Amino acid sequence: MAEPELIVEQEFQYSSLYDQGQTAIVGMWLFLAQECVFFGGLFLTWIYSRYWNQAGFDAGSHGAQLWIGSINLGILVTSSFVYACALAFIQAGRPREMTWALCGVVALGVAFVGWKLYEYHLDFVGHFWVNDPDFPIKGELEGGAKLFWAFYWTGTILHAAHMTIAMGLVTYVIRRGFRGDFTAQYHAPVEVIGLFWSFVDIVWMVLWPLIYLMGRMP
Amino acid sequence: MTRQLLKLTLTWAFLMAVAGGEFVVSGMQMEMANRPVLLFFAGTMVFTVAMMFMHLATAPVVAKGFAVAGVFWLIVLFGFGAADMLTRNWYPVQHYNPY
Amino acid sequence: MSTTTTVEARKVEESYLSDKFTLASWLVTYDHKRIAILYMISITFFFFAGSIAAAIIRWDLIVPEGMLKDPETYNRMFSIHGMMMVWFFLVPSIPTTLGNFLIPLMIGSRDVAFPKINLMSWYIFVIAGCVAFYATFVGGIDAGWTFYPTLSTGYSNSFIKVAAAAIFLVGFSSIASGVNFMVTIHRMRAPGMYWHRLPVFIWSHYAVSVIYVLATPMLAMTMVMLFFQRQFGVGMFDPQLGGDLVLYQHMFWFYSHPAVYIMILPGFGVISEIIPCFCHRKLFGYEFVVWSSIAIAVIGFFAWGHHMFIAGISLYSGLIFSLMSYVVAVPSAIKVFNWIGTMHKGFIRFDAPMLYALGFVLLFAIGGLTGLWLANLAADVHLHDTYFVIAHFHYIMVGGMVSALFGGLHFWWPKITGRLYPEMWGRAAALIIFLGFTMTFAPQFILGYTGMPRRYATYPPEYQVLNVLSSAGASILALGYLLPMVYLPWSLFRGPRAPANPWDATGLEWQTASPPPSVNFITTPIVTTKPYNYQEPEVLEQQRQNG
Repeated sequence: MAEPELIVEQEFQYSSLYDQGQTAIVGMWLFLAQECVFFGGLFLTWIYSRYWNQAGFDAGSHGAQLWIGSINLGILVTSSFVYACALAFIQAGRPREMTWALCGVVALGVAFVGWKLYEYHLDFVGHFWVNDPDFPIKGELEGGAKLFWAFYWTGTILHAAHMTIAMGLVTYVIRRGFRGDFTAQYHAPVEVIGLFWSFVDIVWMVLWPLIYLMGRMP
Repeated sequence: MTRQLLKLTLTWAFLMAVAGGEFVVSGMQMEMANRPVLLFFAGTMVFTVAMMFMHLATAPVVAKGFAVAGVFWLIVLFGFGAADMLTRNWYPVQHYNPY
Repeated sequence: MSTTTTVEARKVEESYLSDKFTLASWLVTYDHKRIAILYMISITFFFFAGSIAAAIIRWDLIVPEGMLKDPETYNRMFSIHGMMMVWFFLVPSIPTTLGNFLIPLMIGSRDVAFPKINLMSWYIFVIAGCVAFYATFVGGIDAGWTFYPTLSTGYSNSFIKVAAAAIFLVGFSSIASGVNFMVTIHRMRAPGMYWHRLPVFIWSHYAVSVIYVLATPMLAMTMVMLFFQRQFGVGMFDPQLGGDLVLYQHMFWFYSHPAVYIMILPGFGVISEIIPCFCHRKLFGYEFVVWSSIAIAVIGFFAWGHHMFIAGISLYSGLIFSLMSYVVAVPSAIKVFNWIGTMHKGFIRFDAPMLYALGFVLLFAIGGLTGLWLANLAADVHLHDTYFVIAHFHYIMVGGMVSALFGGLHFWWPKITGRLYPEMWGRAAALIIFLGFTMTFAPQFILGYTGMPRRYATYPPEYQVLNVLSSAGASILALGYLLPMVYLPWSLFRGPRAPANPWDATGLEWQTASPPPSVNFITTPIVTTKPYNYQEPEVLEQQRQNG
């Protein structure tokens, strides 16, 4: 038998607001660990595809729009920064500033998706869609180049899907922000959705070198 | 509050600088070192965002554990997955006519 | 947002079953106990869908030329059987039913951490199940449950894309459950419920949740790529375009090998509850049982390559995966020894749950040991893709997991429904299932060892005797599964009322009423002892002598 012990805590666990907020943060981090493995599968195909067809893979990446990808990286880093500021605002008890900062986040997200769609347009004009009969790279390099574009389309479409979902979530936070739901004490949804937003940003930080930079060398 | 915003702004400037550095380095002739160096830059950015924007350092300890688990499982995936690719033997197909 | 310390008095007095009994109150409930019941009903449906396909498979194999006379239908049947049984029955089976019901009760909490996500996961599961049902029964899948390219991407003329979408969807439900369980176990334990005071059932579900959360996303990515390859012709898995065929298998088995442990770890948890209770002893070597669960969950991720020994992976890689497959057998063996150690010198009661548990230990041991043969590089060349493999994994999944599910269902039936089931029928069903199972699958070991390959609608005549034996066993097994479907619902209406603790078991779930009130516990339970705090037989003996 274990010796008797003193129990201080008599409330039901999970009953305090602080505890509920921390629990939500823990849950979101676990979800992000899951997202890591999800995109890990994508990166594993990058490793395999490039290893077997390096020349063709790099030749394919020369067709990607480096400048759009780089501008988009800047946009996403900035959006993450603005989100972090929004969180700082609400922690200091300033919900108005937080809500407007979040509007800025969504605007930056829209800018990202807009550039992305323009890039897709350029890619289609350049016949870089994977089963386009006029695919510009022919001969020995064709297979590898097509694999690069397969990776490009899969990766960017999945990333854009994450962006869209994240924008929807931030919009939800903004709506609640304008309703005045958040205070310095209660702002768990702001923090949790911010984690997801920054994670989508992180994915682009890894995709950017894999898509645009690795093949830059002559 | 002002301190916090200043810290975030400095982080943003640092991230932009790292991204710029990564961009410049990617144009250099580095042969085999190219990929590890680019991944180092990307890793720095990811780590910075996780620490400064996602506040991983002050998150509950369980959350830190989950973040480490995500990275660990990625290492398992890439390690065991790529081991096969790197050590595979290729046997050329013999084209012969049995008749 | 208010705190959850105050609850309506009505919810304290009434059980979760009698607290408003309308259809709407069930479909929008956040109560983990009701969601568990919803899951129970849905997986039973999918279990029967998969079983009918299995019955048709066994019926076809009665004669060497095949009763169906149509290999295409046969292919569809084993694909239905695989898809339904793996993703819509075995993977969610114990965790989403017994786990969902018992995790908050066992750790002394009022609900799981994210009740709305819990309900959402059931809806996703049902929608995915409907899509899968459409893909397999209406459309037809002929590529098996593994969907290997290039059969699935190039040659199969069936509803692969719909099936991939269904599997992608059902993954969300697994991940949601996994996140919920892990966070609940981490953050909502009752005061005094330290990690080494948690029942093994909780530890097993923690290990399962690790796999749910960290393996399932890989399956999602694999299905996305399979979909893209079939729809748009992207070539990651197509050697003609420079892709790698084996990469698909790496990605698929990165999920599906750990998923094999999803399909057995919760069973370990159930058995570790039943055996100490019916032997009236402490679980032997609690710490070892606990940490072997975690070891299985982690090392299980290092062993996926043993499904691909003859698929063309490198010899070096094969060696590592073979070694890891041997290593992961060690924690499983530790558990079996500990269960036997628990039974040693115990007062064993042979009630229905204990019969299922004994069947589990024996069948799992056989299934596990034959797994070692398959982990051997050289032996696998001979045994791969034969009925030996079929028998091996059915011993683990059906002999193991389904026995554990039935054992757990009988064990906690009084707690879930507040009624006692007829004990005699329970024991009869346990024995019939054991006999039917052995008769079905023991011959398949011999069939496979002598060279009968899997996934063919026909076979050479010399295999007929064993195949007929197997099919006959399958009909006995079907009878065994139908029996509980009769007497368990009967007991809902006619069974005697159950007391709070009919088995004289330890554990927080037995300290609240049967069936539990909606809020689980009226006052916060406080834990002061280790789990399985049963009195030792010597003490009991002394008490008996003293009168």
